[in-house]
Amino acid sequence: MAHVVIPVGPQHPALKEPVNFRVVADGEKIVRLEIDLSYNHRGIEKAAESRDFIRVLPLLERVCGICSHSHATCFAKGIEELMQLEIPQRAQYIRTIVAELERMHSHLLWLGVAAHEIGFNTLFMWTWRDRETVQDILEEISGNRVNYNMNEIGGVRCDISPEQAGSILKRLPLLEERIGEYVKMAKSQRTMLMRFCGVGKLSRAEILRYGAVGPTARASGVDYDARRDDPYLIYNTIPWNVVTDEDGDVFGRTKVRIGELRESLGMVRYCLENLPGGPIRVQAPKTAPSGGEILSRYEAPRGELVHFIRTNGTDKVERLDIRTPTLANWTSVAAALVDQNLADIPVIVAAIDPCLSCTSRLVVADRKSGKTGNISWNELRNGVCRIRPGSNRI
Amino acid sequence: MSVISEMIRNLLTRPVTILYPKEKVTIPPGFRGRIVVSDEKCIGCGKCAVVCPARCIAMVDNQKEVSFKGKQLVRRKKPKVKLFKCIRCGLCERYCPADAIHVSSEPALCGTDKDAVSA
Repeated sequence: MAHVVIPVGPQHPALKEPVNFRVVADGEKIVRLEIDLSYNHRGIEKAAESRDFIRVLPLLERVCGICSHSHATCFAKGIEELMQLEIPQRAQYIRTIVAELERMHSHLLWLGVAAHEIGFNTLFMWTWRDRETVQDILEEISGNRVNYNMNEIGGVRCDISPEQAGSILKRLPLLEERIGEYVKMAKSQRTMLMRFCGVGKLSRAEILRYGAVGPTARASGVDYDARRDDPYLIYNTIPWNVVTDEDGDVFGRTKVRIGELRESLGMVRYCLENLPGGPIRVQAPKTAPSGGEILSRYEAPRGELVHFIRTNGTDKVERLDIRTPTLANWTSVAAALVDQNLADIPVIVAAIDPCLSCTSRLVVADRKSGKTGNISWNELRNGVCRIRPGSNRI
Repeated sequence: MSVISEMIRNLLTRPVTILYPKEKVTIPPGFRGRIVVSDEKCIGCGKCAVVCPARCIAMVDNQKEVSFKGKQLVRRKKPKVKLFKCIRCGLCERYCPADAIHVSSEPALCGTDKDAVSA
């Protein structure tokens, strides 16, 4: 039977963000997936080079609307390490609380989106209702629901008062009960079992070959979490477990995320109950050392986030390179879709929790010679490029 | 069946959605809303304009005698905030030495004119 190419996007009613899929199908079965990314390039890495360390953090928070705290913390901890700055314990606890609350709201959001993709919109409404509790807590702590702006180089911007801590602790049992309901639902609900089990299966070897990260990797039995294996903040001092699963399919990824919801809740509770006293920030030097280079790793809700930072002795970075978890997970999606049904595309793609605008980068590639490169400022100004832009097809 | 029990529980409870405008969402203290500048306290140092990531604060000429830490001084300039360009990060409030600029709990208005300024 002849193969049929089904183009989806970049502009498509079912897509939330622009991406171009070319699905090669043999009847109902998918043979291959070709992805074109980077329709949403915003030039944040370049913009970061022109802002000092105070002004760059609000910009980096806007890399992603869900894991805004992740990007700011990842950058701040990298710069602090370069400056050899020890931030106060209380600031580390507050950063951890916000990070784990963010993970909870991201996973609840994902659970809703996954339910929506399989047509189970009731669950979508329930999870997003419960997510409001987490959002309210974040709003009370930081003053904003999305861009918390908690971090600054040397500590955090605002403190958690004892009244706030008490009010958050009061609301946690309700969330715990709700998460317990989702665990039960995921195990027994027929709709979820039928649409999640055996769909988008990836073995441990495949995950390692494609370099997938986060819950996608942990669902296939890869016992790796940057919080435990490259500890930062206070993760090596508080009790928690890395959640893994052996299923390797969308159901496994659901179980890992629900398990992580429980772990995050436990961590938030522990941190609030054991919040140490003391200052929330230290005075940071204005400039970072010359010739400093660091690879700052952070376990964002979607997986391992990496910021490469190079400093040049000024109050700005010389180069910032952001590797978002979605970029690491895309290849595994293309592999997971092979031999699956066309109707399972939305849920398999949604299973990695893709964030498309975070992944948009510009690499100019020439297919014939295989050369790749960046565009210089002069080339941008004159509108002439040495290498002809091609497609970064996976 | 946890779904059915959840459905029954939902039938017996109030809707979660708030019926605006009859009911309103309570805004927590510390919410980052519209920027408010205190004309009495501002010493016109321009620190807010320097730290603003969105470059929405411009210092404009304005001569006035103000007191700062018990001393009388004459300020030359005062900040003018482009309301719809502001991203409400709160850095101006954090770095103001005179406690004159605040992100208030009032909701920020919406608009498309990025150059519209506060009164």
